[in-house]
Amino acid sequence: MKQFISMLKKELKELLTLQMLLPLIIGSMIFVMLGNIVGAETKKMAEPQMIFLIDFDNTQSSALVVLALENSNFIIEMIKPSSSNEADETDKAIQRAKDEDIGFLLSIGKGFEQGLDGLEQQNIKTYSIVKNFSITSGVGSAKVSSTLSAINNYLSGELIKEYSGQDIDPEVIKSPVISIDNTIVGNNIAQINPGEVTSFIMSQTIFIPIIMFIIIIFSSQMIGVSVASEKENKTLETLLSTPISRMTLVTAKMVAAAIAALVMAGVYMFGFSFYMEGMSGGALTTGQNTQGAIEALGLTIGTGGYMLIGLSLFLSILIALAIAMILGAFAEDVKKVQGLLSPIIFVIMIPYLLSMFVDIPNASLAIKVIIYIIPFSYTFLAAPNMFLQNYSIIYIGAIYQFVLFIVLAVIATRIFSSDKILTLKLSFGKKK
Amino acid sequence: MEKMVLVKGLRKRYGTLEAVKGIDFEIAKGEIFALIGPNGAGKTTTLRMIATILKPNEGSIEVCGIDAVKEPARVRELISYLPEEAGAYKNLTGLGYLKFMASLFAKNPSDENMYVEKAKEVCGLGDRLRSKIGTYSKGMTRKLLLARAVMTSPQLAILDEPTSGLDIINAMEIRNLIKSLAAEGMSVLVSSHNMLEIEYLSNRVSIINNGVIYKTGTPEELKASGAKNLEEVFLEVTR
Repeated sequence: MKQFISMLKKELKELLTLQMLLPLIIGSMIFVMLGNIVGAETKKMAEPQMIFLIDFDNTQSSALVVLALENSNFIIEMIKPSSSNEADETDKAIQRAKDEDIGFLLSIGKGFEQGLDGLEQQNIKTYSIVKNFSITSGVGSAKVSSTLSAINNYLSGELIKEYSGQDIDPEVIKSPVISIDNTIVGNNIAQINPGEVTSFIMSQTIFIPIIMFIIIIFSSQMIGVSVASEKENKTLETLLSTPISRMTLVTAKMVAAAIAALVMAGVYMFGFSFYMEGMSGGALTTGQNTQGAIEALGLTIGTGGYMLIGLSLFLSILIALAIAMILGAFAEDVKKVQGLLSPIIFVIMIPYLLSMFVDIPNASLAIKVIIYIIPFSYTFLAAPNMFLQNYSIIYIGAIYQFVLFIVLAVIATRIFSSDKILTLKLSFGKKK
Repeated sequence: MEKMVLVKGLRKRYGTLEAVKGIDFEIAKGEIFALIGPNGAGKTTTLRMIATILKPNEGSIEVCGIDAVKEPARVRELISYLPEEAGAYKNLTGLGYLKFMASLFAKNPSDENMYVEKAKEVCGLGDRLRSKIGTYSKGMTRKLLLARAVMTSPQLAILDEPTSGLDIINAMEIRNLIKSLAAEGMSVLVSSHNMLEIEYLSNRVSIINNGVIYKTGTPEELKASGAKNLEEVFLEVTR
């Protein structure tokens, strides 16, 4: 037992080092911060949401819908139509909603009550103005759907009481009111639920964070281990005394790690595509109507678009490699590399999780600063912004990534050209 | 005699620790010059500065008349450095390693082949050069690295503890190899804490301790005071 305790103590001392614990603590703190941010966003979602409602019917039944929506925590601003031309008035209301940054418009057509009384299923048209594809973006539409479901329950109960035993279409009794959902992206409008749009966008772009994680984690570990093992085996000292330039040495290491990571990512993505196909069983493939609506909204990425996403991804990889090169240069040995590289993984996780849960354009300044300062954010933001035709953020992001990469590459080269690459180890007193 | 290395007032600090405190020495063509001293004396730091991988805080280093501080790239073409207990790339074969290192020095393919051929001859590893370095013994690796260090026929070979950790036979072979290369005109700067080895190997010796050179001369000159060997000289001058 005594031997076991001694052995256990020794193992724990070797395993639970400061280098190992520090990244864990930092990671845990990042999750706390993310939890607070996402929590604040969720609270924001629960707050009463302002929507526009245009009522062409102006009857007791349409007033019932308005009341039900108000009870569902919506603040309703009634838009009074100035004419009876529903199409024109709806267009005007959409424009006003866009101008006033209102995300949701609901339109109740003329003859709503009369139709219900005549036992005909009635439509309520919804218009969601989509400005981002985060998980929270479709909340307004989802809340309206649940409200309509409540209205339907009520009306259906009334109809059952009044017409039980008579020959009536059961669909009318089950759902007296159905919603016809419209989604607006930029200047395009299509008859589709915004939730479906968000799901489509996610299914189209889900590979980006996965491939980014795989490539960056693999490549940064490879380069970190490569530099640290060269230091440990003193092959680096030999290389530094040869005529090879420091820039060539740094670049060759980074390019080799990037190529190896791309090969690995390719192999993983090949396997992953089968996993996705198996998972969805075709569910993620879109029907013809949905496909048409997606195209009408301009939510397609062409070859040029994929090249732009690829460029952003490539720049992210280069940045991660340059950071890993710098961190690897400061590792005393291969064992310490893992701990030193953990911050890169956390820095990738922050924008990934935030872009999933937070409506970034409407987020607080602090969150925006965090997102925009992290170079990896631009790769996550590239595809959604491309769908929204916001090319400026993609180009600005690419320029920022490129400049940052150059700065980091220069720092890495300077470290390799200076004493630091060798003296850090010396400063720990292991060498003279 | 032609001076290959001229070191004047060399100082190196790591933060507040001064590892080398203003040392001077010179090495002639074809001379084996040794720095001897205990661990932490400043030997490796001095060798690294001459190998252009550390920059001195003060002082000057000239190699073949070229300022090693101002023009390190030119100096790197003339020297080779073998760090203490250096390893090699374990996934490469011995031959692959030699080819890789030759490619860093060679200006054309024929030079590269010439360097590799010379290294093959010097290391004497024969067919084992086709095996991965990971399968080599310590002695074999050291021979390979020494062959790598001399294959380009550098003007100056800087060897840090070249026989450290080797058995008697391997150490002897390496000592003889260094002697024969110096006889061919290569200057050698060697460091060791094994003073008896240095006495056998070197033409001239500097005794260094705490970053200061205490005495320089041939082993015979250093022992002129009546000391039996360099270890006794070292104890005498550092007391």
